Amino acid sequence: MNLNKIKILTMVSSLAAVVSYGQVQVDPNLPDYKPTQGVSGSLKSIGSDTMNNMMTLWAEGFLAMYPNVQIEIEGKGSSTAPPALIAGTSQFGPMSREMKSKEIDEFEKVNGYKPTPLATSIDMLAVYVHKDNPIAGMSLPQVDAIFSKNRKGGFASDITTWGDLGLEGEFAKAPISLYGRNAASGTYGYFKKVAMFKGDFKSSVKEQPGSSSVVQGVASDKFGIGYSGIGYKTADVNAVPLGAREGGKIISATPENAYTGEYPLARMLFMYVNHKPNSELDPLRREFIKYVFSKQGQEDVVKDGYFPVPAAVAREALKSVNIEPGF
Amino acid sequence: MNDTQTSSDKQSSVPATRRRISSPAASLISRAEPALWLTGGSMVLCMVMIISLLSFVFYNGTKTFWPVPIVEATLHDGTVHMGEVTRRGTFIPPASRLDEMPESFRKVVEDNDGEASRKLIRTGNFRVSGEHFNWVADFEVAEGGLKEPEWAVLLERLTWGRFYGTPLKFQIGEEVVADTPEATWEQFKSHHGEVRERRERRRKLEKKGLGKLNHAMEKRRLAIRQTELEFGKDSDEYRKVVEDNRQPLDTLSQKYDALVKEIQALDQENARFVMTMQTASGQDVDIHVSEIVRAYPANRLNAGNKVGIYISRWIEYLTSEPREANSEGGVWPAIFGTVLMTLIMALLVSPIGVLAALYLREYAKPGPIVTVVRIAINNLAGVPSIVFGVFGLGFFCYIMGGTIDEIFFSEKLPSPTFGTGGILWAALTLALLTLPVVIVATEEALAAVPNSMREGSYACGASKWQTIKRIVIPRAMPGVMTGMILSMARGAGEVAPLMLVGAVKLAPELPFDSYAPFLHLERSFMHLGFHIYDLGFQSQNSEAAKPMVYTTTFLLILIIFLLNLTGVGIRAKLKKRFKGSAV
Repeated sequence: MNLNKIKILTMVSSLAAVVSYGQVQVDPNLPDYKPTQGVSGSLKSIGSDTMNNMMTLWAEGFLAMYPNVQIEIEGKGSSTAPPALIAGTSQFGPMSREMKSKEIDEFEKVNGYKPTPLATSIDMLAVYVHKDNPIAGMSLPQVDAIFSKNRKGGFASDITTWGDLGLEGEFAKAPISLYGRNAASGTYGYFKKVAMFKGDFKSSVKEQPGSSSVVQGVASDKFGIGYSGIGYKTADVNAVPLGAREGGKIISATPENAYTGEYPLARMLFMYVNHKPNSELDPLRREFIKYVFSKQGQEDVVKDGYFPVPAAVAREALKSVNIEPGF
Repeated sequence: MNDTQTSSDKQSSVPATRRRISSPAASLISRAEPALWLTGGSMVLCMVMIISLLSFVFYNGTKTFWPVPIVEATLHDGTVHMGEVTRRGTFIPPASRLDEMPESFRKVVEDNDGEASRKLIRTGNFRVSGEHFNWVADFEVAEGGLKEPEWAVLLERLTWGRFYGTPLKFQIGEEVVADTPEATWEQFKSHHGEVRERRERRRKLEKKGLGKLNHAMEKRRLAIRQTELEFGKDSDEYRKVVEDNRQPLDTLSQKYDALVKEIQALDQENARFVMTMQTASGQDVDIHVSEIVRAYPANRLNAGNKVGIYISRWIEYLTSEPREANSEGGVWPAIFGTVLMTLIMALLVSPIGVLAALYLREYAKPGPIVTVVRIAINNLAGVPSIVFGVFGLGFFCYIMGGTIDEIFFSEKLPSPTFGTGGILWAALTLALLTLPVVIVATEEALAAVPNSMREGSYACGASKWQTIKRIVIPRAMPGVMTGMILSMARGAGEVAPLMLVGAVKLAPELPFDSYAPFLHLERSFMHLGFHIYDLGFQSQNSEAAKPMVYTTTFLLILIIFLLNLTGVGIRAKLKKRFKGSAV
């Protein structure tokens, strides 16, 4: 999977030229979605909270074309997606991380084949601080030293106050107050894996039930710090520019840096489906997936604050579930 | 029992208080015993807490839809922010920023212990700027840079949220019919109605027309699939079903194409109307009139206009479906889901609860077993509601629902029908949760019926069941109603278990529609309580969602209040009928 991601991101980098500053454009090569007939029935999506709003936006767009389709969306965390897909209680499993091999095995045990991941959009996991916090940037080892108790990132000492990061004035003595996600969340898993080098969270992290509550927590806590998808940013928080290594280049959380892959916490947002290899999907799921990878579907991604995938990635995704892309 | 005592106390004290009204101050001093102050004080404390909570929710919930003026702030560096001021605050600007600001402001800030004020402006235009809100510190604003432009117009759109800008020109087809703000606005006003009507007609065609056709097609496809499952693809039965369905499916698809053409024609007609708006930073944006839900020049409104907009926003909120991941539009599906779920729950819980209480009070012999049962029921009331949710998910959804699916809906598998959260399972779970409330209240009511009445009935030769039916239940009815009211209030306000057994973020399809069997108990539903949670903690644009949280809370409290009021009304009627009875 990681290989895949690198492949995707390099493909994407060629597109970076299209992205203008502060404003994201959907790849013009993506097709307009045109409704077909005979689509009816009900869909259920269970999974990621990060993608909850995006799934809802897709569902609303899809429903505008197929008014009597029933779509239900539940988003309590990426870890809820695999069991629901396995039990057949959902047709789509949005996940903000890749499935773990254990989850894939369990799926395979029941179905005899692996679940199919569809890379639907790109997210940057942002580290948020209060808007009045003057910090200019951090390195991942520093982030690790703030959140983790065992500092696998290799930073020399524990960071507990803003003064440890070189801030002055009222921040110098102020202890850092930590906000994070609950363990069912894919954001939690991804942050732990990439930003904390698989270390353990400090017990002082205040675990929040949703991405938005992390942002709201930081917004109301002057000395707070937390992590969430970039789509949840509000005017009350700043996304801290991050560097991969200590002393390395500090990269801010802007779209172009997500596409080039320079921003260290850029990730793909997946939608898993139960697709038997070489078989045809039922019309309802087929049309929904086609909608997601259409111009309208990717505009919804922009609307939710995430970044759309280029046509090349969309084409791959459609092919992987045996749909003729036609563009 | 307690109920009777307090009510008789009240009755005796009422005339007493009235007599003392003549000299309230003197009587207060003379009656100033510690107990009175203690009890009265507690009451006042309760009232203060309740009233302040309610008025807080009421104030914040009702002001959400009130139109406020649009301000335009030009900063020293030339950036312009236009929008509504949503919040103000103070902060201590860092020294580096103090140096940038003009002398006059630096003095103001220094006089103010280093604190400067700022305001949060809702700037909308997310597509253009990538921001929904912007903080603007007062010292950043250029000299005379804060204005309320006359022609600043707010657009509420179907997608992409709010837009703030100045109308520039109005186009119908290729022709530009207006190119000043005033003329453009006039054109917009005269055409918006017909465009909206066409949009509504289109929506109706989609929903009713296409919906029905799709439904019919799906039904036939499922019939074919069922035969395939039963007999296999190579059987004569399968071929026959396919053959039988070909003709009707073709007709349906022709009808479908015709409808799609009609819809496209409406769309084309609507696409001709385009209004060009200029953002505060000088960008021109073309907006299709059919995209606009509501528009108003915020700084030109008189009081009447404002009230009109306020009311129209409330109507939209109460009657329409949510848009833009629940952050805009209305909550009608959630209102419907909440009320329907509560009613189904009341229908399920009352007979079971009342019958169980009847057995406990009238038939069972008092003894250790009855005591244990009573303790168990009271303990049930103390079980955390999330535990009921987990039980409901495991037992109702997976075991019961899964079995129903296997027996009756095998052609739809692996998509579950009943084997997942739904309004029936949610109502059953809440029925379990509120069962103790009903049982305890009913038992109390039954105990309050004096034994002499039962004995009188027996003396007339009535059997036990006749006595219960004719004498005991009617007298206890008001008390039973109290139990039901309490259980409904409890059930409607419960959210945690619902998240597991059927309340979802988006389910615009109501569990009640025109397709047989009309009431679809297997469907998931939206719930106001869950909607509040979703808006408050899950919403992407959380700043914009905040006022909606208050409004939705206000609405939920209002609905529970109305449900309770209905119950209280019925109870009062019953009480009147049995005036002079024990309860």
